Amino acid sequence: MNRATDDAELIRRIAAGDETALRGLFARHQSRVYRFILRLVGNTAIAEEVTNEVFLEVWRNAAKFEGSSAAATWMLSIAHHRAVSYLRKRREEGWDEDAAGSLRDGGDDPEVAAQKSDKGAILRACLDKLSPEHKAIVDLVYYHELSVAEASEVLQIPENTVKTRMFYARKRLSELLQAAGVDRGWP
Amino acid sequence: MTELTTEEMERAEIEMLLPWYATGRLSRADMAKVESYLARNPQVAHQLDLVRDEQEQTVAANEALGWPSGGALDRLMAGLPGAPAGGTRMTASALFFQHIRDFFTFPTAGGVRWAAAGVAALVAVQAVAIATLLLGDRGGSYQVASGQQAGGETVSALVAFTDEATAKSISRLLSEFRGKIVDGPRPGGVYKIRLRLEDRSQAEAQLKRLEERRDIVRAVLQSRD
Repeated sequence: MNRATDDAELIRRIAAGDETALRGLFARHQSRVYRFILRLVGNTAIAEEVTNEVFLEVWRNAAKFEGSSAAATWMLSIAHHRAVSYLRKRREEGWDEDAAGSLRDGGDDPEVAAQKSDKGAILRACLDKLSPEHKAIVDLVYYHELSVAEASEVLQIPENTVKTRMFYARKRLSELLQAAGVDRGWP
Repeated sequence: MTELTTEEMERAEIEMLLPWYATGRLSRADMAKVESYLARNPQVAHQLDLVRDEQEQTVAANEALGWPSGGALDRLMAGLPGAPAGGTRMTASALFFQHIRDFFTFPTAGGVRWAAAGVAALVAVQAVAIATLLLGDRGGSYQVASGQQAGGETVSALVAFTDEATAKSISRLLSEFRGKIVDGPRPGGVYKIRLRLEDRSQAEAQLKRLEERRDIVRAVLQSRD
């Protein structure tokens, strides 16, 4: 039995009210869901709260899960929706973006990383500087290894938009690297 | 507006597909399309190198975020519709060990096999790290430590280390707590350790201090012996 089938079985048991199955699904996916949300919202306490909301939604809606997509994709889709809702609310409530930024658990700024001459650190710092929209697509493709169709489902955008968004995220990354003194020779 | 030539359009299409080519998540037809293009245009290999760098650092950035705090599952279970509002709250460690017990209590459930495989992989990685640690400790002959440490009081505990814990960090932690691994790995990557104490009354405080080392220790549960 493969991983997706096992997840589907856990969700079937969750739909029947099996708390042990929810614990199993949580143990299996919690860290990835949490990391995806944390990269978007930039605050550990909020990321934990939103992660719990995702699994609560899984508990409530497990019976509606049709299995046409992988459970991991379904959960990331809920996670993305909730993280974006949180970011929107934060904007509407006029949060001080600088103050919010100071809550981030990030590494060095690109400039600081550049001074350390660590190419990997510079790249990571620039990845952290991407907009939430670009960060989400980059994480979904590179870290969660979703296909174009799966990323399209998580982000609720057409497949061609997935491809172009990833392209522009990479282009933006090159611009940030250039500003940090790293010329990649592309684009 | 400048119109793209057929060649430029083909290159743009391939450039857009490269991230999925690198992760192996393209359809067979698209995979063949990219491979054919790369064979005809070797200069595009540089772009593929950039994509692989990006992927490597994206994974590193995500892995560096670590884990959520220990009480997350506790809060989730308490918040389930129908959960007792004033129910007894388990500690993060108690929940971790409950979780391990849950998995190994239902060996025939379909959803458990992946967990066993995942846990086994983690156990294998940590076992290698700890074997390395014990090899250093024992001058080259690995065996699981056993028996009482000479002199003083001791307290035993079951411990699960974090994924990020290295042999070096575990060694340093054990040295700081005057402890030794005496058994393991057990199912779920759990080890039994024994800490030396000046006084028996220190046991609880020492285990609490140990549990607070979230960078290395994922869960601690006092053992009877």
